[in-house]
Amino acid sequence: TMLRRMTRLLSGARQARHGEQHAALHYHIPLQDLKTVFPQGLPPRFIMQVKTFNEACLMVRKPALELLHYLKNTNFAHPAVRYVLYGEKGTGKTLSLCHVVHFCAKQDWLILHIPDAHLWVKNCRGLLQSSYNKQRFDQPVEASIWLKNFKTANERFLSQIKVQEKYVWNKRESTEKGSPLGAVVEQGLTRVRNATDAVGIVLKELKNQSCLGAFHLLVAVDGVNALWGRTSLKREDKSLIAPEELALVCSLRKMVRNDWHGGAIVLTLSQTGSLFKPRKAYLPQELLGKEGFDALDPFIPILVSNYNPKEFESCIQYYLENKWLQHEKAHTEEGKKELLFLSDANPGQLERLCAYL
Amino acid sequence: MAAATLPAGLVLQPGARTLRAFCTSVTPAARSAIPSPRECQSRRLRALREALPPRTEKMTVDQDWPSVYPVAAPFKPSAVPLPIRMGYPVKRGVPMAKEGNLELLKIPNFLHLTPVAIKKHCEALKDFCTEWPAALDSDEKCEKHFPIEIDTADYVSAGPSIRNPKARVVTLRVKLSSLNLDDHAKKKLIKLVGERYCKTTDVQQIGHCISELTFSFQKTEEWEKDKTEADMEEYIWENSSSEKNILQTLLQMKAAEKNLEINEEELLGTKEVEDYKKSVVSLKNKGDNENTLSQYKESVKKLLNLM
Repeated sequence: TMLRRMTRLLSGARQARHGEQHAALHYHIPLQDLKTVFPQGLPPRFIMQVKTFNEACLMVRKPALELLHYLKNTNFAHPAVRYVLYGEKGTGKTLSLCHVVHFCAKQDWLILHIPDAHLWVKNCRGLLQSSYNKQRFDQPVEASIWLKNFKTANERFLSQIKVQEKYVWNKRESTEKGSPLGAVVEQGLTRVRNATDAVGIVLKELKNQSCLGAFHLLVAVDGVNALWGRTSLKREDKSLIAPEELALVCSLRKMVRNDWHGGAIVLTLSQTGSLFKPRKAYLPQELLGKEGFDALDPFIPILVSNYNPKEFESCIQYYLENKWLQHEKAHTEEGKKELLFLSDANPGQLERLCAYL
Repeated sequence: MAAATLPAGLVLQPGARTLRAFCTSVTPAARSAIPSPRECQSRRLRALREALPPRTEKMTVDQDWPSVYPVAAPFKPSAVPLPIRMGYPVKRGVPMAKEGNLELLKIPNFLHLTPVAIKKHCEALKDFCTEWPAALDSDEKCEKHFPIEIDTADYVSAGPSIRNPKARVVTLRVKLSSLNLDDHAKKKLIKLVGERYCKTTDVQQIGHCISELTFSFQKTEEWEKDKTEADMEEYIWENSSSEKNILQTLLQMKAAEKNLEINEEELLGTKEVEDYKKSVVSLKNKGDNENTLSQYKESVKKLLNLM
């Protein structure tokens, strides 16, 4: 129908040509892609929406377009540029990140997607003392979950990339130089004790090898401010652990430094899930703190804001088309004005409100 | 108290009453001359019933109020012409009126200190004052010649004791620019003073110890050498990690382009790096807001050649 064409673009294959004229339109991600590109990382409410509508549609918005423009013009010889998406709660930072990740996946980049760095600094069970470095702690559970998802997302690269050093796991097992990266991942998955070290090795290898130019690497971290904040983890003697003492956090910090080239780093700041930060905090310095800012400097901050009128209209149209808004006044002008007022054009708020209608 | 005056129509017949008073021993002729006790009582009542109206009714609007209340006196409802009500009202009632109101008597009143009365006091006191020096006619001149201001507060209240512990506080205020300190001494003083320094008016307050103020801030103390980056009040870009980061990034970029001849000073001297430095300094010192962040973004974009 006409309406459909107004709010939709046809397929994800055309997203390489997403430009200004496509702003505020929805584009469609095939469900098959969802399983491979996003085993982790989509916001839970979005996953519910996908299940309800039986399709995944993302709105093309300005911050994502800006990022895509930068990524298309990346100079792979220069050090990796860091882009930081920041904005108030519910404005669409995670979904913008997912949009960018999908784009890069379609362009055949290797995606290193950490869905929520906050999960690595709180509520971790089973902290072990690291065998590699006595000062640090391992997190076998989180590391193995991440390895599993990484494997699903980047299946084809795992056999192509070869490790460049020999890694000895314990007396009986070791990975030889030149064996595929998949072997390291397998080792981490089967021997959960070594999962954290496996993650560290994967990150190190990818960083070194992307400089060689065999592939482009996209590092996408959601909630990067967790790496420099505080943790809620305690040792056995109930003393707090600093983020530096977690092996996963250390390897990730090394990853987001810009001392490698051949790819890009896209990060989002998130207050939801962060520890000990006030609810209204959304600006980079507030959430990153001094240490984080100095570590990420220089970066490109990209603001993700609430919907502008066109985007708001488009979102309402999308819900109406999918028959999500059942209230009889939902499609009238006053209904829309009321929704605009109640949600203040905040995408997250609007989505929650429309769930009741 | 409003005395209930008898309506004028009821006029007592003196003759008839006197006859009835002494019924037994007095002859009818004598009865008319001696007044009976009941008659005396009623005569007194009569006098009371015709009490004078309160003074308020005779007061004009432009009367001289300080003469009504020349000194501190309790509240006299008949002398204050205001229809004041005070008290907690009963259900479906209003606060009590002023006649016979104990609440109004209990509270302290300042009816003797109206502006007119105070003006009169000032006029009287003027004979004992000297003139304000004509040269100090503006605030700046006062501050220039008398940089130290001492504030004392006295408290007046009606209560069981005349003392008020807040009266012990004395505030000494000094404008920082009037003390000739150099940059280092000034920073030291600000740090020591802490939150008692007010940046907007450049006024520093030192509260309630008038004892001693050592102005030895020019000397460098031992502990100052331990000043670390966290102690710095403002962000200085030189030798900061931001400078190191950007330098490294630029060097790597140049290396990628096989442009190894450029050295560090040249890199740091370019206009883009200047802009970047300014934006980082403003970001750190002024905090995040739309302006500083967009400035920072533009400068980083230019530096990294992203368009």
